Amino acid sequence: MNLFTNLQRSINNSLKSNAFCINTMFYTYADFAQIISNIRVAIKESINENDSNIGLITNDDIYTYASIVALWLEGKAYIPLNPEFPLDRNVTVINQANIESILDSSDTIVFSEFNSISTLNIKNYELNLKPSEVSNDTLAYIFFTSGTTGTPKGVPITFGNLSGFIEAQWALDYTITAEDRCLQMFELTFDLSVVSYLAPLLKGACVYTIPKDEIKYSYIFELMEDHELTYALMVPSILHYLRAYFNEINCPSMKYSLFCGEALPLDVTEEWSKCVPNATIANVYGPTECTIYCMDYTFKRNCENKTHNGVLTIGKDMINTSTIIVDDNNNEVAIGEPGELCLSGVQLTPGYWQNEEKNKEVFFYKNHNGKETRFYRTGDLCSADKDGDVLYLGRVDFQAKIQGFRVELSEIEFHTKSALNKMNAVALAFTNVINNTEVGLVIESKPMDTKQLLDYLNEKLPKYMIPTQIKFVDGFPLNTNGKTDRNALTQLFTNQYM
Amino acid sequence: METTHIKETISQVLQSILEHNNFEMNDELTAKDVDGWDSLSHMMILTKIEEAFQIKFKLRDLNKLKNLGSLVAVIQSKR
Repeated sequence: MNLFTNLQRSINNSLKSNAFCINTMFYTYADFAQIISNIRVAIKESINENDSNIGLITNDDIYTYASIVALWLEGKAYIPLNPEFPLDRNVTVINQANIESILDSSDTIVFSEFNSISTLNIKNYELNLKPSEVSNDTLAYIFFTSGTTGTPKGVPITFGNLSGFIEAQWALDYTITAEDRCLQMFELTFDLSVVSYLAPLLKGACVYTIPKDEIKYSYIFELMEDHELTYALMVPSILHYLRAYFNEINCPSMKYSLFCGEALPLDVTEEWSKCVPNATIANVYGPTECTIYCMDYTFKRNCENKTHNGVLTIGKDMINTSTIIVDDNNNEVAIGEPGELCLSGVQLTPGYWQNEEKNKEVFFYKNHNGKETRFYRTGDLCSADKDGDVLYLGRVDFQAKIQGFRVELSEIEFHTKSALNKMNAVALAFTNVINNTEVGLVIESKPMDTKQLLDYLNEKLPKYMIPTQIKFVDGFPLNTNGKTDRNALTQLFTNQYM
Repeated sequence: METTHIKETISQVLQSILEHNNFEMNDELTAKDVDGWDSLSHMMILTKIEEAFQIKFKLRDLNKLKNLGSLVAVIQSKR
């Protein structure tokens, strides 16, 4: 497979360069190559050849990253297990993915009841980066995301999917070279981590990670400034945290500043562009199901940018993805009309792991450009303009029905932010004590008088869209993926009845 | 300002936000040791401390706040 021959070549060509900076320690590509080779021996010795789904304890260290590459070179998939997640959730994942063996770099093995293999302090073996033969259908990883029913659902991604993504990534004009210093801010249970380590490794660049016990946003800032990072993919929530300190940030070294995972508001992006004056800023989009991301929009400085409710467009398909926007009957909607965004192409997962019911729900075949094509329904409500740029309107399931009216929560957020001069706000639908749906509003601020805000909203929105309750928090909580935790915020409204 | 006085004020801030006082104000105290001190309450606590001491933390200060001892040191450096 080209992907791994390329990775092998990149590592071999960069042996003296830094591959990782983890918790202020630098590791060269030679260090990395040695640890990968050692772990490969351990895998061959301790894991059954036919055992393909291997658990990986996601520590922030060189052994964990080397384990991923070692597993791939052996043609095996990794399933990330965050040791800080509830035991119950990890065991569910282990059972669902039929995991028998787990690679673990912890001082004390986390799951002693499984075939856990310590990746720490293995003795040195001869360097071996030669990939074993794998097919495009072989799994590279399975990431488990929270399912609506409470059981996590597994998204398997094949080496073919991953190769397709990397090919599409290189086709974007966000070039990484061996001189680059790249941010990897994501938990390894979140698929944005994959591009954050793999793309730099394929180019001989250096990957900078974030220690687990640090405050993410302030640590990112220090890395950007102290190590003059040149490439960073982040979730927009980081910007919301940093916004109060934007006047302290000036990073001329940054060349590419990408955002993914959440709606990216235009106003914050414009302010951020002054903190990274030389950077190309981009908004990329995609669900785990379509391998990391599959759509892209380059932010235009000092120019009009397309938005909806203040949220930047997600742009156009990357080269290996083809999108359509459909109505409830899977018929394509007219230009400008809202519908559900559906994705197809080589990046698309073969389907949820052992979950036929869910697969029937979200994957469907449709004739597209004369070919029977498999599509995935994203649950994202979008519209496309005449240029083919896709505007993100909100989640299909963030659309609430209030007194029978359809309500787009992002619209309420947009008007609230306009009224409050840049404060961050989240609108939520919650079920009140008599099982009616109400709109709640959480504002990232100290408590204040809301009369002016409500007067403004009443000017802009129909009565049924006006929040019935308003709460204040000093900072929005994040879930483990670094996104605003809407569930936790919803509890501000629902817990009072318990 | 005296260390004991600073700690007393921090203790009051913690109690007002977390609504309990099940913690000991020693220098090694970290957020992990205190029930309810999570990412959501962290921002609230910092804001309240800024108010109480009439100071403003810089972005660079935030990484230095490893435990109570370093928090007290950063506050002292700002007064």
